[in-house]
Amino acid sequence: MTFKNYILVLLVALLTGCQYEISPWSTDVDCPTSVSVAYNLERLRAQEIAEGLRSDYKVALLSDPQFYPGAFEDVIKRINRMDDVAFILLSGDLAETGIKAEFEWTCKGMAESNKPIFAVVGNHDALAFGKEIWLENFGPFDYSFSYQNSKFVAYNDNKYEFENLPNRIFLQQEAEGFADRTAAGGYTFAVSHIPPWEEDIQLSADLESYGYDLTIHGHEHNFDYWQVSGVPLAHYITSFTKEKEYGILTVNSSGLTLENCTSRGCTVASVRDRTF
Amino acid sequence: MFKDSIVLIVLLCVVLGANSSEARRYNLDIQSGSLMGLVHVSIGTAFWQRHNLSAGIGYVPKLDYHAEMALYSFRYRYQHPKFWQFTLPSDQQVTVLPFNVGVSLLLGDDESLYFDLPDRYPDNYYTPTGKRIVFNYQTIFMFTPELEFYIDFSVLDVGLIGYIREPDFYYDNYDFLGLDGITTWGFGMRYQF
Repeated sequence: MTFKNYILVLLVALLTGCQYEISPWSTDVDCPTSVSVAYNLERLRAQEIAEGLRSDYKVALLSDPQFYPGAFEDVIKRINRMDDVAFILLSGDLAETGIKAEFEWTCKGMAESNKPIFAVVGNHDALAFGKEIWLENFGPFDYSFSYQNSKFVAYNDNKYEFENLPNRIFLQQEAEGFADRTAAGGYTFAVSHIPPWEEDIQLSADLESYGYDLTIHGHEHNFDYWQVSGVPLAHYITSFTKEKEYGILTVNSSGLTLENCTSRGCTVASVRDRTF
Repeated sequence: MFKDSIVLIVLLCVVLGANSSEARRYNLDIQSGSLMGLVHVSIGTAFWQRHNLSAGIGYVPKLDYHAEMALYSFRYRYQHPKFWQFTLPSDQQVTVLPFNVGVSLLLGDDESLYFDLPDRYPDNYYTPTGKRIVFNYQTIFMFTPELEFYIDFSVLDVGLIGYIREPDFYYDNYDFLGLDGITTWGFGMRYQF
């Protein structure tokens, strides 16, 4: 075959393989339904029924996979091998600039998960036409679910991209009425991309007063674990997946444990006081 | 913003065309796909023999979640001298120019996109969402000295960066050495005058 023929074959191959796209800002994202909140709620419910009551389980905490879908996929594959991890919380920023291709790359990694995976909207996810893409492919910005007597409440607190956030009524209502389960050894967790803002640090005290035991976030691309002075509610921030870092939350009869995990292993996170 | 950009681009094309040592030639280019809109019309000029600059406007029809939008482009293209010739059954001779590469600045015109960071954000919080760089490769089929058709393959800035950073991710998840994950195609026609 001549060089010319090689080029022609390559052209035909690319034509058949590549997408015909009319804009970088298209919104018809090709993500499987297995990334949606609704699908994963069903999956978790079925898993919980099959497992029965568990007093000891782990939750993997991932965040900010934007720009590095390969590293994110590697972390997912690592967590797939952890049998004691019940599900994954992905704390936002699946895309960097809110365009279709970025969401699709992250969806590839999410679809690799052999455990339920729940994504929370990040500030970068809301750029360009990202809000619409999110609602169509992942689901609501605020939602909640229960697992093993504990409640997980995902909320949107991306104040620059949305108005009147967070929805305190939703946060309060979701935590209310959960006292019975808490008495049975369960906990109430809040999950959002951005931790309580300095401009709205009252949120920390509000969440504590609503009955939350721990909040989980991303956004800062580094591990952190802090609480506002005088407010007995800790805020855990997991690192980004670029360096294949993630957090592990362990729930068992002795309480909650948080670990910061890197390629070198995991270390228990220690809370620090933060004054605003 | 858009008007200023387009005026600047057209002026640059005219100046470069006027300063070319060759007889000045312009071209009208009509393209579809390859991230440039359903239809993208541009006017360009050649300079220094194998270099081309063009400015254009594209149209994206109403999609599911946003109204119709316009795309504005400023494109540079390098045309390699390599060519092959063949004859169609109709005796029409076709010259194939297989190696042409280019880069475009693409601006999207929609209220959801911005070029200057809105006031509510701290400085440098985000890069502009309405501005993208598109790299492209073309194979040109020249039917007459004035008329040519081409197939265009393009890669978005984030696609190229991602592919260089994490090639294994694209190899593992997409066909054709992972290029399927970052490449889109389109086609077009160019008329020289």
